[in-house]
Amino acid sequence: MKIKTEVLIIGGGATGAGILRDLALRGIPSVLIEKGDFTSGASGRNHGLFHSGGRYAVSDPEAARECIAENRILRKIAPHFIEETDGLFVSLPEDGLDFRDKFLRACEEVGIQTSLLTRDEALGLEPELNPHLLSAVKVPDGAIDPFALVLENAEDAEGHGAKILLHTEITSLILDGDEVKGAGVKDLQQGEEYTIEAPYIVNATGAWANEILKLAGLRIGMALSKGSMLITNQRLNHSVINRCRPPADGDIVVPNHSVSILGTTSIRLEEVENFEVTPHEVSFLIQETSKMIPAIQEARFIRAYAGIRPLFQSEEKGDDRAISRGFALIDHGKRDGIQNLITITGGKLMAHRLMAEKTSNLICEKMGMDVPCSTHLKPLPGASRPIGPKERLKQFTTNRGEILCDCELVQRKEVEAFLGGEKLKDFQDILHRTRLAKGTCQGGFCVYRLFGVLHDLRMAEGDSNKILRGFLEERWKGIRPILWGTALKEEELIESIYKGIFNL
Amino acid sequence: MHYDLIVIGMGLSGLMAAKTAAEAGQKVLIVGKGMGSLCLFSNTIDILGTIPRTTKMRGGLSQWIKDHPEHPYSKVGLEKIEEALSSFLSLFPPPYSFQTIANMNCLLPTGAGTLRPTYFIPSTMVAGASFREGHTLIVGFKGFKDFYAHYVADQLKCRGITLSFPDVLHQDMTATALARLMEKKSFTKNISKEIKKQLHGETRVGFPALLGMNDPVQVKEDLEEIIGGAKVFEIPTLPPSIPGMRIFNRFKEWLIQKGVTFLLGYSVSKAKLGGKRCEGIEALHPPVITSYSADRYLLATGRFIGGGLKADTEKVFEPIFKLPVHQPRSREDWFEKNLFTGAPHPIHQAGILTDPSLQPVDERGDLILENIWVAGSILAHHHCFDEKSREGIEIATGYAAARYGLGTLK
Repeated sequence: MKIKTEVLIIGGGATGAGILRDLALRGIPSVLIEKGDFTSGASGRNHGLFHSGGRYAVSDPEAARECIAENRILRKIAPHFIEETDGLFVSLPEDGLDFRDKFLRACEEVGIQTSLLTRDEALGLEPELNPHLLSAVKVPDGAIDPFALVLENAEDAEGHGAKILLHTEITSLILDGDEVKGAGVKDLQQGEEYTIEAPYIVNATGAWANEILKLAGLRIGMALSKGSMLITNQRLNHSVINRCRPPADGDIVVPNHSVSILGTTSIRLEEVENFEVTPHEVSFLIQETSKMIPAIQEARFIRAYAGIRPLFQSEEKGDDRAISRGFALIDHGKRDGIQNLITITGGKLMAHRLMAEKTSNLICEKMGMDVPCSTHLKPLPGASRPIGPKERLKQFTTNRGEILCDCELVQRKEVEAFLGGEKLKDFQDILHRTRLAKGTCQGGFCVYRLFGVLHDLRMAEGDSNKILRGFLEERWKGIRPILWGTALKEEELIESIYKGIFNL
Repeated sequence: MHYDLIVIGMGLSGLMAAKTAAEAGQKVLIVGKGMGSLCLFSNTIDILGTIPRTTKMRGGLSQWIKDHPEHPYSKVGLEKIEEALSSFLSLFPPPYSFQTIANMNCLLPTGAGTLRPTYFIPSTMVAGASFREGHTLIVGFKGFKDFYAHYVADQLKCRGITLSFPDVLHQDMTATALARLMEKKSFTKNISKEIKKQLHGETRVGFPALLGMNDPVQVKEDLEEIIGGAKVFEIPTLPPSIPGMRIFNRFKEWLIQKGVTFLLGYSVSKAKLGGKRCEGIEALHPPVITSYSADRYLLATGRFIGGGLKADTEKVFEPIFKLPVHQPRSREDWFEKNLFTGAPHPIHQAGILTDPSLQPVDERGDLILENIWVAGSILAHHHCFDEKSREGIEIATGYAAARYGLGTLK
């Protein structure tokens, strides 16, 4: 097999998928490869906070401006993935009001709309808040579903002729003199190795940027910062709750569907794989966030997880292309003499569209083309489809079938609909595209049932128990840090089933 | 109301204790907030699944007792374990009786298509123990999401079929609903005719373990008669466990018949202590709280699922009598880094320490409450799901604790 394209994008996170769509809308052929599934890195391991920019207004006005501008654009092009919850910046007695006043001024300067709420007004909106709070500032924060957003960016790009290869790893960069010509890749499911010819290559692998650059003998200055989060098993807050103080650890509680996500920590790491959430981080997050929402002390948790923020260190040579303090767009032609190789890293989920726009602009400039970006104007295809409680309820009232996941009410027919499509060969991909394994039992029941369905449909054969064991082992990483109270009871149930009844 | 003995907990150990005391002519109250893990996990009677299948259970158990002096089995002793098991077995006369395969562990197929060692098996599972001796057909039902015939069959390298009956099974079916349906002659007749049509010379037919709640042997025989020439057997799968419910129902019927006061759905909210004695308990059946007292009390409340043990972020505790719980030093030591490590997680060894007569003691070995006995999985120093010893420990300690409590054992 051999593939030819104009631009090869490496990385299936928000940035990679964003670039794929941007180029596709400009009519430039491109191929995206991803070694896992979409959002396997930081795009899928964050708290899903749809920033207003308030968090950065005082410390980093430029990043705040970027956030509020993208906030307004994304509300237009991707309203169906955003829950418009608003956010509160809550001042606690120990915080005083000095920072709040600075915060209000800074928001006004960068253009973030605020309204100041009294203690009673804030408690009226959010009854679970610490009753001793001094005041709260309301900003246009929200909650976003990163996976659905990335998936639809990719699907829209495919609809415009782009190509996507999941579970495909890059094995080599092909250079002709000082110019990239393509890459050697490997299909991790079939084992097939082949080449993709492309005159332009974009490295959009986030924290993995240096792993790719290594193939060309290059390296950029990057620090890896682990952020850990905890998920509660019920939603404790309606709007995003932030602490009104300089950004620190454990000061955000983001509502998301039926749960709340507590974040975060910031710990430097050396390695991009094999990291875990420590019991210390768990205790710390509960201690800090419960100062804002005391009920967190008694809450049940369903999982702990962590993501890696790739932080670009701009003191390196030739980094003048770093267009914002948030993200880094690196032209390796200028920096290292390797023509037509571009790295885009750093940044935030909020800036993914902007990062894609800047990257695509650079590619167009290199190609000598003058096609403007349109991603800020063209809504994603699903934006016009009706969604909401009414549509969801309809699924349950008409011809209700077996429910595979009792926590998240995922129906068998919903899963079968996904299986009907092509390309889903990895069972984790199915979990990503449904709500399976996202609920309280974290797949304790429904993953067994999923394998049952796969065998029933003759889509799986052989030793599924080995994969089931692997899934339970992976699940354990997120569960182990939060095992006490009710979660411990659930764990005894799961062990009694899999080690007891099933003797796995 | 005053009793000779109050048993707290309605799992297998509490039920055994109540039976033992009732047989001795005692006035017994048994109180339980639910049906216990018996109805979740117990399909067969495990004694010690780790004993090799070539060793007789008696010999294996006697060696185990020598090697594990702190294990609940060692507190009870081989002789009383055997008495306890006979007492249990006597409650299940044929047709639905329990038996062993040559007094050794046997391997039964499970709902994940694995094989699992166990000891006493009900009549409805016997053909499963020798499923390799012939060709086997595994049968599942469309709409029943806790068992998948092809999943099981693919692992066991045999054939599976999923039966679909548009008139009945078009929606979500639970194990309990299917078990009741199985007791309708017209239903079993329909499915056995369908199976007969799809049979390709198989000599054994495996079903999920839900062949009727009250008379499973009759259901099995009805199926065998119409299918013709094949032996039918049940395969344990996800909770709830219909075979466990059969055991529960049998105990319940027997205990009530013997005059035992049976309070299901009552949780013990408080124990009244005076010095080293328990003087009474309060049972909550919302919104009413009722007080009961007895000469002796038997604690058989299970582990975390049953609520016998609870854990906060720092420690494991016993909520009713506040008995000291033997446990790992800190939460970081509760669980191993990997789920499947080969070694059991340290927290599963946590539990109540007792003296040789199953009365609660502290870490120094001093008696805490003189009219309390403890039985079942809440005891320390076993890991019943790794050992596959859950039912054996429950039967043996339930029996022994009641006997010690009655003063008939020393």
